[in-house]
Amino acid sequence: MSIHLDPDKCLACTTCVVHCPVAEATPAFLGPRMIGPAFERFRLLGIVEDDSLQYCANCKNCEIACPQNVPVATINMLARLAQCQETPPSFRDWIVAHGEVLARSLKYVPAWMKNLGTHLPLMRALLDGIGIHKNCPMPQFARKAFRDHLPKLSQKGFTKSVAFFPGCYINYYDPGTGFDLVWLLQQAGYRVFVPKAFVCCGIPLISGGFEKDARDNAQRNLKVLRELQAQKIPVISACPSCRLMLTREMAEFFPELLPEQSVVVEDAQSFLLKCIHSGELAIDGAQKTTSAAISAIYHAPCHLRAQGNGLPALELLSYFPAIDICEANAGCCGISGSYGFKKEKYAIGQAVGAKLFQRITESGRPLVASECGTCRLQITGATKKPALHPLTLLRAALEGRQLTL
Amino acid sequence: MMEAADSVGFAGKQMAEDRIETDVVVIGGGATGIGTLRDLSLRGIACVLVEQGGIAHGTSSRFHGLLHSGGRYAVNDTLSAKECIEENTILRRIGAQCVEETEGFFVLLPEDDPDYVEKWLPCCKEAGIQTEELSVEEARRLEPEISPQAVRVFRVPDSCVDGFRLVLHNAMSARRHGGRVLLYHKVIGISQQNGCIQSVEVVNTLTGEKKTLFCRAVVNAAGSWSGQIAALAGLDVPVSPDKGSLIVFNHRFTSRVVNRLHPGSDGDIFVPHGSITILGTTSVATDRPDDTRPSRQEILRLLDIGEPLFPKLRSYRILRAFAGTRPLYTPGNAQGRSASRNFQVFDHARDGLQGFFSIFGGKLTTYRLMAERVSDAVAAYLHVSAPCTTQDQPMVTQADPQRLEQTRRCFPVGDLSLMADRVGDDLDKVLDLAKKRTQVSPAGNPLICECEMVSLAEIESIAQDQDSHSLTDIRLRTRLGMGTCQGTFCALRAVNTMFEHDITLSKDPLCELHGFLQERFRGLTPTLWGTQAQEMQLSHAIYAGVLNVRNAYANNN
Repeated sequence: MSIHLDPDKCLACTTCVVHCPVAEATPAFLGPRMIGPAFERFRLLGIVEDDSLQYCANCKNCEIACPQNVPVATINMLARLAQCQETPPSFRDWIVAHGEVLARSLKYVPAWMKNLGTHLPLMRALLDGIGIHKNCPMPQFARKAFRDHLPKLSQKGFTKSVAFFPGCYINYYDPGTGFDLVWLLQQAGYRVFVPKAFVCCGIPLISGGFEKDARDNAQRNLKVLRELQAQKIPVISACPSCRLMLTREMAEFFPELLPEQSVVVEDAQSFLLKCIHSGELAIDGAQKTTSAAISAIYHAPCHLRAQGNGLPALELLSYFPAIDICEANAGCCGISGSYGFKKEKYAIGQAVGAKLFQRITESGRPLVASECGTCRLQITGATKKPALHPLTLLRAALEGRQLTL
Repeated sequence: MMEAADSVGFAGKQMAEDRIETDVVVIGGGATGIGTLRDLSLRGIACVLVEQGGIAHGTSSRFHGLLHSGGRYAVNDTLSAKECIEENTILRRIGAQCVEETEGFFVLLPEDDPDYVEKWLPCCKEAGIQTEELSVEEARRLEPEISPQAVRVFRVPDSCVDGFRLVLHNAMSARRHGGRVLLYHKVIGISQQNGCIQSVEVVNTLTGEKKTLFCRAVVNAAGSWSGQIAALAGLDVPVSPDKGSLIVFNHRFTSRVVNRLHPGSDGDIFVPHGSITILGTTSVATDRPDDTRPSRQEILRLLDIGEPLFPKLRSYRILRAFAGTRPLYTPGNAQGRSASRNFQVFDHARDGLQGFFSIFGGKLTTYRLMAERVSDAVAAYLHVSAPCTTQDQPMVTQADPQRLEQTRRCFPVGDLSLMADRVGDDLDKVLDLAKKRTQVSPAGNPLICECEMVSLAEIESIAQDQDSHSLTDIRLRTRLGMGTCQGTFCALRAVNTMFEHDITLSKDPLCELHGFLQERFRGLTPTLWGTQAQEMQLSHAIYAGVLNVRNAYANNN
């Protein structure tokens, strides 16, 4: 692995440093500019990688802030991939990066048994021993994975179909959101399917430093995505991190796999907005309900903001008088995928999210909405408020029912 | 072998005596002069060196930093080529901290004469320069930015040398053996009595104090200025300054020296240096040894010539441009590239002045040999029989890796090798200070210059050195302000650091800041487009806009 991104565009203006939540939370991180484009000039010289690199959470706030469009976090992740080729990552890092492989291998173990690991103090102590912090919130396996259940779901046989990239979180921990999306798309006249060959998007593998595994996944996903593109079947994702990886980062990390144009994967919320605008999804009935039955605060995940396509979920939810939604607008939650799980980074993650947690608590709203699964986990862990995917709120509004929190 | 660093300190701030007696006065603080000081000191001959500016003020820090394998001179000048490869081998041994052993490529492009290769190869062999042909695919695997149009590629033992550091480390070595260096001292007179050298009169350019150096011999190693020095003794030497301009790029797009495989020409050598790449060099006759302003035309010409070798050349960000003057030996008015790159030792006894020697011509790669030859002549004149030993002893002691590892935690960036290499003998001082600062507070040794990764402790230790009179002196020894932002962020931080730690330089902080920025801007102006123009706008907004430095400076002066 010897991809080096051109560090020339960086003006050293330090805007990224100001916006980096990690640099603010810990002096152990030299900051995005220093460990990114500035250090890159020395990586080209073959200098020993700095310890500070491991503190980059890949939250992408540096890239969002950069006035010069320098892919700062990507430079860091490429450096980490190169570093991990020299020094293989730890067992703990393998575990948190390979959630999908683990889940597949534990397929026939009942969910309650798997979830014991997240409850039993002894198990937590064991996990803490390998470097997963004993207090970090952990996702709970669903009784049945989304992808196993979907084929058994009876869908109306429409001619239009859409391919859904569920991502690991919805698939294993949050299938409910997946079914909400299927319900919504059925309302809009689409049949939903998940191509069998889809695998984890690879973003946890990149953060963990597993270049080869991430490349394998990218190759597999690309093959499917290209086939779908040839058949003109739209592909959607309800997870901002998956979409970021598929539409942008894959080309940055594996330029040789995407020599021509990148692939198109649409944001599920944007797709539904289009359905509303085109009249495919009728919302008239729901718009007439004026009493606010749902009051929630919305947190925009960093990886969504990094895509620069606005906040489609917020726009979508604001169509419904039944939903009273406001934006938290308080930065990163601090989880950054698996960053906040890690023992040595747990405190940093909590410090990063503190402002957001306070904003949410002070808002007095009983419910939090956010697309990102791990953001929701982190927020619920810290604020004890339930957090749902915006699609779940949308379905409730369209069905005109109360949400059971 | 190491003496206490301060027992024979650099002559600087506190040395105020107005008469100094010594055996030899060396004029010129470039590679040749300081190399001569080291050589003579190692032979046990007392000597003092005078330099009008700081270390390597002249040409030794104003070239591309190529440690020639000799391949460049193989066809036209086999003697030079031989000297190059021999000296190249010696320098890798004695100056490991100054040399980056990169190896080099000679690349033949479609527009180059393919027959030249057949002339070049046997000449390299005759000079003792190892060449190895690589397939173009292999060469491009190693250096992906090289043009796919390349026809043939040869590997040679070229290396990169940091000219400034080479001179500094020679001075450190000379200092350990009793040599003295008077920086910022300009020669204003050379006295003789009965056809023999008697003394050299110098003036401190910072304080205006004058000194007389009584001596038995003088070595004129003033490079491009050697004509002016000789004239002070009523002599004439055939030296013509020849301006060469170079471009500094923001990143290292090649890890090897890359030369065009054709007869030497402008702009056909790329040299990686630490974090940057340098492209050079033009050749324009000039009548001023201090003609160091590159013109925009020269820069554009360099880009035109360099582009066939690196097709993406114009997309790489240019940091700045600089120029130096070669002291070409030009008997009978030979000019530019046709002038010999050989060096000459002149014993002016034949002009009727005993004890006055001039050395000029040559190139940085052979500076040690030049110093050896002139020192041989001086030693013979002084009836000293000690032989030259400069080829055997490393100039500074290698940093102890264990000690570096122990102190690693006291620095903001873990890899201390670059810092250790540049500070040389000052390493202990820097490490001790870093320890002290981090004992006070864990974040007590932050980065002051992020682009070149220079920490507070390094800047503070170097600033305290008696030869550090300005931020520019500190910059040259630490690389402060020499990276991407060209001083935009570190200049202010550095000035603050000096102020907070009560370190006084020769001017007040505002003047220092202003002077430092002006010097940085000067190198930016001939290449001011693209990203670097944006960088300068930012810098301008900070210093001229927010801080109003220009007006503050104008009001204070």
